[in-house]
Amino acid sequence: MENGALRKAGVILLFLALWELAPLTGLVDPLFIPRFSGVLITIRDLYQTGEFLQHTRISLLRAFSGLAVAVVIGLPLGLILGGWFPRIQQATEPLMELCAVANPVILAHIIIFFLGIGETAKTFIIAWLCVWPITFSTITGIRSADDSLLKAARSLGLGRWQLFRLVVLPSAAPSIFTGLRLSAGYAFIMLIAAEMMGAGSGLGWFIVQSQESYHVLRLFAGATVITFLGLLTDVSIRLLQNRFAFWNSEPGESFHLQGRGIV
Amino acid sequence: MAGVVDVPQQIQTDAKIVVKAITSVFHLKKTRTEPAREFIALKEINLEVKKGEFLVLVGPSGCGKSTLLDILTGLAQPTSGAVYIDGNKVTGPALDRGIVLQGYALFPWRTVRQNVEFGLEIKKVPKRERRAISDNFIHLVGLDGFADRFPHELSGGMKQRVAIARALAYDPEVLLMDEPFAAVDAQTRESLQDELLRIWEATGKTILFVTHSIEEAVFLGDRVAVLTPNPGTLREIVKIDLPRPRHNSDTRSSAEFGWIRRKIWELLQNAPHESRHHLNAVPVAEAISPTASL
Repeated sequence: MENGALRKAGVILLFLALWELAPLTGLVDPLFIPRFSGVLITIRDLYQTGEFLQHTRISLLRAFSGLAVAVVIGLPLGLILGGWFPRIQQATEPLMELCAVANPVILAHIIIFFLGIGETAKTFIIAWLCVWPITFSTITGIRSADDSLLKAARSLGLGRWQLFRLVVLPSAAPSIFTGLRLSAGYAFIMLIAAEMMGAGSGLGWFIVQSQESYHVLRLFAGATVITFLGLLTDVSIRLLQNRFAFWNSEPGESFHLQGRGIV
Repeated sequence: MAGVVDVPQQIQTDAKIVVKAITSVFHLKKTRTEPAREFIALKEINLEVKKGEFLVLVGPSGCGKSTLLDILTGLAQPTSGAVYIDGNKVTGPALDRGIVLQGYALFPWRTVRQNVEFGLEIKKVPKRERRAISDNFIHLVGLDGFADRFPHELSGGMKQRVAIARALAYDPEVLLMDEPFAAVDAQTRESLQDELLRIWEATGKTILFVTHSIEEAVFLGDRVAVLTPNPGTLREIVKIDLPRPRHNSDTRSSAEFGWIRRKIWELLQNAPHESRHHLNAVPVAEAISPTASL
């Protein structure tokens, strides 16, 4: 069992119990926060209609296509800037940081003007926010490749491409995964924002609809499902990380904290 | 500037490694506190290493010993002078030299076996052959049963054994070691030194070993080249006549060991005449005690 897993599960259970009991005991008004069991029952009922499943599917598709676009753009961008063009990377860093904090929702009218109100705009909004963590973490990962590893590899007469493929890229993997997890989280947050502007389907739209018609149970059901999907995505990426970039998650002496000979 | 002095591409020599008039100058950029200046890391270093010899470079930090090793590896170019291996000028890194670094430098995403086979993959050795070779070297460094472990599952001493096996696996004739045992504890260090001598005797490699520990230098080397800093200069080469095979348990306790160590210590103090005179006045017990140099 993972260290402290029991305690972690205990905290979650405690939280759910509180959620269940607070409305029951009148600590909070069940009109605002319904019982957890009630939310679960609503979710079950909703999935029996099939319409809700459709919303879930569309939302997942939107979140993942946004994330996919972000990976397809951010990963090569990070690799190229970090690996080959450090000067350009340095020069463009402030601009990229500016772009990273710019909220695409605020620019929604411009995005809609250029991309219309359909799926492209939604994918764009999600991808816009997701692309930066991936780009930055890829650059950081490439930069943090251990000097002595590079030295050991270069001493074998490796060419630039071999060095990149066999040493730099694997060195960057843990950092890239960290960025990917961050982006995946953003994707699910932005999904709601994207679906709140001019959508006719999806969990975000469903939540807004429920809110406007005071269906608190449905609102919570939609929110819980989205949270769960986001969590599931995060856990999946973490599993991939443990499989492909396991060495950095190990406690103890980190390989890039080893002493380096100077002169 | 490099290239101003014409350096021959080949020379006639019996020595395995020839270091010829190596000078290395770094141009330090201007900082807030200091103006731009030149730093002479190495000045006119001349050195010959015989085939199968164990030569140790000893010196304090800043004496340019790691720079010299980088030049030998082919990762750095000297400002003037050249290094020859088997009479051929070193122009870049190649598989005729293996390196072992202080920080182990193992690939954390590769198992012990995959680390050991790294150079063989570069050399495009077929898989089955690679496996036989890595088995052999994993056995040589005493890591049987650990082939499928990852570096983070190993102790510092074991990691360094893997690094040695990796450097030996692609069969370089020269092994360049840059303070390889500096990061491990004293006990592990002594056992690794014993191991290294055993491996050296078993493989017959030419070893150039860099350290700042006088004890380590005297214990390991056939000869010890003493470097002094500012600028990095080769002060003297001391021949170590201690009998082989050497073992940490008895070699270190011999009187001769103490005397040689004392001599090198004095060379490093940069005051040869005075201290030699001084040494005669020191009681033998003090001169040979392990703490005399501290």
